[in-house]
Amino acid sequence: MIFDTAIIGAGPAGMQAACDLRARELSVIVLDEQPAPGGQIWRGVERNCQPGSELAQRLGAEYRQGAGVARSFRACGADYRPLSRVWQIEETGPDATEQCWQVFVIREGQAEVVEARRVLLAIGAQERPVPFPGWTHPGVMTVGAAQIMLKSGGLLPEGPVWICGAGPLPLLYAHQLRKLGGQIAGFLDTAPRDTVRRGLPHLSGALRDWKSLAKGLAWQAGLRAAGLRRETGVRQLRAEGKDRLERIRWETPEGEKTAPAGVLLIHEGLVPSVHPTLSLQCEHTWSDAQQSLRPVLDAWGETTRRGLFVAGDAAGIDGARAALAKGTLAAVGIARSLDVLSEAKAKQARAAGDRALSKARATRPLLDTLYPAPEGKISDDVIVCRCEELTAGQIRAAAGRGSADPNRVKSETRAGMGPCQGRQCGYTVARLIAEAHDMPRAEVGFHNIRPPLKPVSVGELASLGKAKA
Amino acid sequence: MAQPDHIVIGAGTVGVSLAYGLQKRGQSVCVVDGGASDFRAARANFGLVWVQGKGGNLPAYARWTAESAALWPRFRDALEQCSGIGLDYQKPGGLVFSLSEQALIDRRAVLEEIGGGALPEGVEMLDRDALQARLPDAPLGPEVAGASYGASDGHVNPLKLLAALQQGFLELGGEILWDWPVQTLRTTDDGYELTGPDGETLRAPNVIVAAGLATPGIVAPLGVDLPLRPQRGQLLVTERMAPMLPMPCSGLRQTADGTVMIGTTHEDVGLDTGTTQASGTMVAERALRILPALSGARIVRQWSGLRVLSPDGGPLYTQPEAYPGLWTVSCHSGVTLAAIHAERLAEQILAGALTGDTRHFSKDRFHVPTLA
Repeated sequence: MIFDTAIIGAGPAGMQAACDLRARELSVIVLDEQPAPGGQIWRGVERNCQPGSELAQRLGAEYRQGAGVARSFRACGADYRPLSRVWQIEETGPDATEQCWQVFVIREGQAEVVEARRVLLAIGAQERPVPFPGWTHPGVMTVGAAQIMLKSGGLLPEGPVWICGAGPLPLLYAHQLRKLGGQIAGFLDTAPRDTVRRGLPHLSGALRDWKSLAKGLAWQAGLRAAGLRRETGVRQLRAEGKDRLERIRWETPEGEKTAPAGVLLIHEGLVPSVHPTLSLQCEHTWSDAQQSLRPVLDAWGETTRRGLFVAGDAAGIDGARAALAKGTLAAVGIARSLDVLSEAKAKQARAAGDRALSKARATRPLLDTLYPAPEGKISDDVIVCRCEELTAGQIRAAAGRGSADPNRVKSETRAGMGPCQGRQCGYTVARLIAEAHDMPRAEVGFHNIRPPLKPVSVGELASLGKAKA
Repeated sequence: MAQPDHIVIGAGTVGVSLAYGLQKRGQSVCVVDGGASDFRAARANFGLVWVQGKGGNLPAYARWTAESAALWPRFRDALEQCSGIGLDYQKPGGLVFSLSEQALIDRRAVLEEIGGGALPEGVEMLDRDALQARLPDAPLGPEVAGASYGASDGHVNPLKLLAALQQGFLELGGEILWDWPVQTLRTTDDGYELTGPDGETLRAPNVIVAAGLATPGIVAPLGVDLPLRPQRGQLLVTERMAPMLPMPCSGLRQTADGTVMIGTTHEDVGLDTGTTQASGTMVAERALRILPALSGARIVRQWSGLRVLSPDGGPLYTQPEAYPGLWTVSCHSGVTLAAIHAERLAEQILAGALTGDTRHFSKDRFHVPTLA
């Protein structure tokens, strides 16, 4: 059958959009990689929020809110397909009478094609990869990955645990970890020391959402009261050890310091997941505030390709509450484009959604200023592309040899050709190109993204031919 | 910048092979390259240095190809030394599989026709057992009846070839202007003038247009009509695998890194460099009929490139009569012909005229009087 809408991702935005579209009696299929709904932010929310769950209490009210959304989603009547990896999306040819999309999915080793009139990408974000000396050592991981382990089974990291980075997530995680009885050796804050002064102009806007601000301040106060060691103005982080992480080294304006470490958790903000929209050659724009690409969307959440919509953090990093609002807005846009919602009603619905979104975004300019993406020079010996084991020095040399074209650098170095398709190195390579050519990062662009978006085997790809024949 | 002896338009494999060859012969050469959105066949190449089966309709092309393949080892040695970049070039011979007894018979007939009644030199037909013996680590699928083997065939990493040609050319003192898409080409009293971005100009007595599919558009205002068309090919590449293919095969080759490249389609879709699941499935199915063991291999990337094709598939080298010193050079097989482009073709361009086999590669071979 041809669904009215295929939604990719069952996080806040995808679940909300599914509920809203079903409320308008449109047929919806939801494809998600995880075994249960929730996305990253609400990972494991159904299991963890069963009555009497200690973990749910410790993870906080914003996490528990996901349980209600997941319940509504389960009941909404969408065809929900967990454990489904989307590896390619195509628009059917010009000879088709009605616009239709084909979404190629692997589920339990079986390849299949899902057809839908509209596609909504609610695929969230990934943590910004930040290469530094030793970041590939076992024992170094991201805060986000550690938090997923927490949500997936209450797993706490062991050994002297250091958290390094900037942003709300490391603070939240440290707060959650402490509540669950985990130990933290120290917190290395990489935000510039004058960051609060720089944030001041955005404070009044952020006060519209004073509850979130108060929450953030409370996390910080809690960590301070617990006597957590905190270093500020941290630069030049290094992870050292023979076969795995043994100690870390960093600099502050007061000098170099070192400490034994068993686990080092890194976080320097999130970037939208743009690989599918890049591969579909949608237009993208560069956000200076968030130092990342995002798809260009109209007021209804539609990309520059008709019938393809984006919602949630994949459209720009704004957090879970904004993702719900964006899911609602995209559902309005999709219903309007399928002619089940009049223009007047659609505009009315949009105005309400816009208000909710605007409020949910109130603290964002402040957060973006408080926690800027790191800008320090990446030393030549640091691995940038993990798939092909290429160093910053190798990329720099290639970048300087010719044009400032990321595809040229990709073809010369293979950075971006490995299994991760540049999810780990793409932004860093572009940054090194911008540096080599002394040009704004916004003008460098990104290398071409090719299918498959997710792993698919030769046999799985071939099996689609047999299924059709 | 002093006026160079030659300007080459296009820093792809064809253009830089010529630039490298000319610079080596004491010429001063400036290469101008296009914009980031150009089609760039050189970056999508499969990497075969291939002789067997080519030139069935154009014997001069068969000879030209064989000569280039013979020049390749020496060309590689010199280029690697000059550029410091290894090319991963090997010449273990190459295979074309037949998936039925009839296909094997047909394949022999095609090759015998090219060879004038007998199999060309270095080509042999292998039955299934003989083929399996040459591929001990690659269990063949049940349909494989055999293959033709060409001793002159080989393969190379085409991206390393391109990087090495550019680097080698620069080492020899050449100059490349990146992101310099040519806006206009016009004649002057003593040669040609190019206009680039922002109205910049460059002059030289000799200009070689090797801009792939953009070539016809650059020379059309001078009244030169080139019959070139795009043909899309889609390819897959797998993750790294244990060595299984000791030699390249048509549509299947294992690279020095261990990845397996699987190709390729022949699609007339205009200037569309997109990929399609249907084509991916088609080439994956064919690969599994030959090597079922590839089934579990993870695909890392699917991409496409546009072949630069003349009506008979052969090279197109032209110096229009009215424009001495202006050359157009395009071909589908820029990797195979890289060696001969850097040597014989560079020599002929320096001498000012095509001689021998290359006379057959002028656009005049396609001149058909218009029917009233």
